Amino acid sequence: MRVTGWGGCLAATGLLLAGCGGGPGGGDEKISDGKVVLAVLNDQSGIYADTSGRQTIEAVKMAVTDFQAKYGDKAASKTIEVKDADHQNKPEIANSKAQELYDRQQADVILDVPTSSAAFAVATIAKNKKKVFIDVGAASTELEGKQCNKYTFHYGYNSYMLAHGTGAEVTKDGSKNWYIVYPDYAFGQDMQKTFSAAIKEAGGTVVASDPTPFPNDNFSTFLLKAPNLDPKPQVIGTMQAGGDLVNLVKQYNEYKLRDKGVGLAVGLLALSDIHSLGSDALAGTRYTDMWYWNADEKSRAWADKFHAKTGKRPTANMAANYSAALQYLEAVQRGGTDNSDEVVKQLEGHKIEDMFARNATIRAQDHLLLHDAYLSEVKPSSEVKEPYDYVKVLKTIPASEAFQPRPDPACRL
Amino acid sequence: MLRVDRLSAWYGEAQALREVSMRVDEGEIVTLVGRNGAGKTTLLRCLMGLHGTYGRTTGTVSLFDEDISGLAPHRRARHGLGFVPDDRGVYATLSVEENLLLPPVTKGGQEPWPLKRVYETFPPLRERRRFPGTKLSGGEQQMLALARVLRTGARLLLCDEPTEGLSPLIVQQIGEILREVKAAGVTVLLVEQNVHFAATVADRHYLLAEGRIVESLDNDQVREREHELLEYLGI
Amino acid sequence: MLQQAFNGLVGGAFYALLALGLSVIFGMLGVVNLAHGAFYMLGAFGAFIALDAFGLNFWIALLLVPPLLGVAGIVLERLFIRRLTPLDPLYNFLFTFGLALILQDLVKREYGVSSQPYPRPQELDGTVDLGLFTYPAYQVFVLAVSVLMCVAVWLVLTRTRVGMIVRAATERPELTRGLGIDVGRWVTPVFGFGIALAAFAGVLAAPMRAVNPLMGADLIITVFAVVVIGGLGSVFGSVAAGFAVGLVSALGNLYVPALSQILVFILMAVVLLWRPAGLFGREEAFR
Repeated sequence: MRVTGWGGCLAATGLLLAGCGGGPGGGDEKISDGKVVLAVLNDQSGIYADTSGRQTIEAVKMAVTDFQAKYGDKAASKTIEVKDADHQNKPEIANSKAQELYDRQQADVILDVPTSSAAFAVATIAKNKKKVFIDVGAASTELEGKQCNKYTFHYGYNSYMLAHGTGAEVTKDGSKNWYIVYPDYAFGQDMQKTFSAAIKEAGGTVVASDPTPFPNDNFSTFLLKAPNLDPKPQVIGTMQAGGDLVNLVKQYNEYKLRDKGVGLAVGLLALSDIHSLGSDALAGTRYTDMWYWNADEKSRAWADKFHAKTGKRPTANMAANYSAALQYLEAVQRGGTDNSDEVVKQLEGHKIEDMFARNATIRAQDHLLLHDAYLSEVKPSSEVKEPYDYVKVLKTIPASEAFQPRPDPACRL
Repeated sequence: MLRVDRLSAWYGEAQALREVSMRVDEGEIVTLVGRNGAGKTTLLRCLMGLHGTYGRTTGTVSLFDEDISGLAPHRRARHGLGFVPDDRGVYATLSVEENLLLPPVTKGGQEPWPLKRVYETFPPLRERRRFPGTKLSGGEQQMLALARVLRTGARLLLCDEPTEGLSPLIVQQIGEILREVKAAGVTVLLVEQNVHFAATVADRHYLLAEGRIVESLDNDQVREREHELLEYLGI
Repeated sequence: MLQQAFNGLVGGAFYALLALGLSVIFGMLGVVNLAHGAFYMLGAFGAFIALDAFGLNFWIALLLVPPLLGVAGIVLERLFIRRLTPLDPLYNFLFTFGLALILQDLVKREYGVSSQPYPRPQELDGTVDLGLFTYPAYQVFVLAVSVLMCVAVWLVLTRTRVGMIVRAATERPELTRGLGIDVGRWVTPVFGFGIALAAFAGVLAAPMRAVNPLMGADLIITVFAVVVIGGLGSVFGSVAAGFAVGLVSALGNLYVPALSQILVFILMAVVLLWRPAGLFGREEAFR
């Protein structure tokens, strides 16, 4: 449903009267409903509420502020609103919330959407309604494969990036034998597959891989089993997230497996997880990240602004949403309209360089953002100089290597 | 000693007792006779104060001229009421001895029986004092339930169908125990379907039908009308 | 293998402590306390807050947090649960369920969903040589303390007058009142004690498990299965089933990882088919 002109003014509330002030012939005629609405649809109460959640909405609002400061009166839309909804990581809720956001809240783009099954649901809605969807939070490569469509973008990271960063790099570094432990649901299974492939490609072996219950608070069985496997794995690759990951790492340390020569690599690690465990619990653990707040001046400057606003350090996911929102607004600015087809045209193949996305391109064939990723290591507390300063970047994985080198042939936009 | 005045009770909307008035004098054994569903058990439970969780009651119950209608069950027990439910109420998770030790001694009642006297009077209980209560036979369980009340020094025993499901020999034993209880100075209000048994142990009888006391009978009347009564009771 | 079995018992210790409290509360009050997991979570958060805000170490938290939450439980029983008990059991069911959600969300609001850091007590940082294998000292401690706690509760229940009254009131609350015992007076402390046990388990869990608002909700589902397996209201049954379920799920994870998610519930279904009242339950409890 697209509402234009007076109809939109009547249907809308007082908030946007300013945008309609000039009537249908005003400066915003190319902007639907006289305003641009960015909607953040994510997990605000479940396991991803701290890695994305409400803080992500703040990051998106910062993008709006920065955009308005940059263009002032020249901005394509004078009114830009940020809405949000909680999808509780459930595809059916994501489905109905996405429809509501696009139809009733006049959202022009939906952002974030962690949990791959929920992201697929939103992608389908975006396709049917011809509205832009930029996913940040979900890991599945199917978003740019089987599930891809003209209006859906995948922005930030995916399981390929995590696996080929961590899996391949750690293997090349000498830890050839892996024991993979993964939670028994879609994300874990997908991670297990991509990691195994990446490890084999790099010349390593997956000695064993075990699914674990989800959620689970006792991983002792798997951890006790690890050093007794034949051949003995040099590293345990854990694909757990959130509370499960914290449980596993606490217990990994109890059994002193690092002293027994079994290292730890984490599939998906967020800053908030390191904070939960204390950096000593994870010191030396390697993982791949799409961004780190204290990696360089540019990141740091933004993280300071974020900190001033929220009192917290941003996770990579929050920074990615900031960037996605900003690049969406830039695309509207370039095309002069929030018409979805025009925005998609503006985004496809566009080169991006901002505080988050470095050496970045949105690949036209599958709408995947290619950008630099970072092989990182958790520092021991002796090297931590300030709160949340837990990580050092070991290596920048160039944009050309960090993601799938070729688009998935299964994707037809 | 016990006076019941226009006692009515309901289960939700259904009335189970209709203005029951009766009395039990000190030293008597009185039985309540009636068909299943006549309200006998409800009456005993009302006297004990245990009906409250099911529905409302009206009327008064007094013990030694003191109105106990508003008292909680454990307070009534402490006023000298002893209770034996229809399934005897022996605890499976308590040993025989613990079953005896559980209830507190009531204030100013009968002389409470010390454990020693209980065991002397009921030797099977001593033999099995470490057993879980429900490992006893039906007769022994009844023995335990009655002994438990004697130990508290209760003055009025409310006993719900002590002979139900027991063999004639055991029924006879229970009759003896009840006479012993009476000899010990305890007054008894008995719910009983077995009119023959009732006539051998009791002094007086109330016939209960549809929640009302319809007749008050003495032993001779019961013996005379035994056949009629048995027919009426459907036994 | 032995090591795995031992690890199963450590996991089982948490089930046992939680199931014990749940079972005593159910027996005595007839209330299925759906907020039990939330109190386990509050126990762990109590330890975290004690350390974070007041600098009190693990040992002090272990002594302080359970009684404090026990008192909270007593207030809860006095103010709400007592009023709802005479009504349909559904009321307390819904009340405790709602309470669990409220407590979870309050903690979530304050601390977020990610886990809070909590270190192991230094004294128990090492490993212990158990003859056949070495094992992390803290886990050995958890198992020992839990077993001791269960034994202590068992002794109180079987050897004291209070225990006798609790057993009697658990089995036949109404009759017990009829025998002159003020059951109501004992209900409140028993509820408080059950809550304190959950909090105790929570404090024990803080150093080895993720301390987050959902930790109790995730665990309590298994604990309900444990209580059902052991037999509703059976104190001994819930403790035995707690350790048994710990053992079975550890070995299940090892040999049939594919089933690990549902193993406990398969066990529950099998036990219920074989003995509908649970391993140590009595049919009477369902009258």
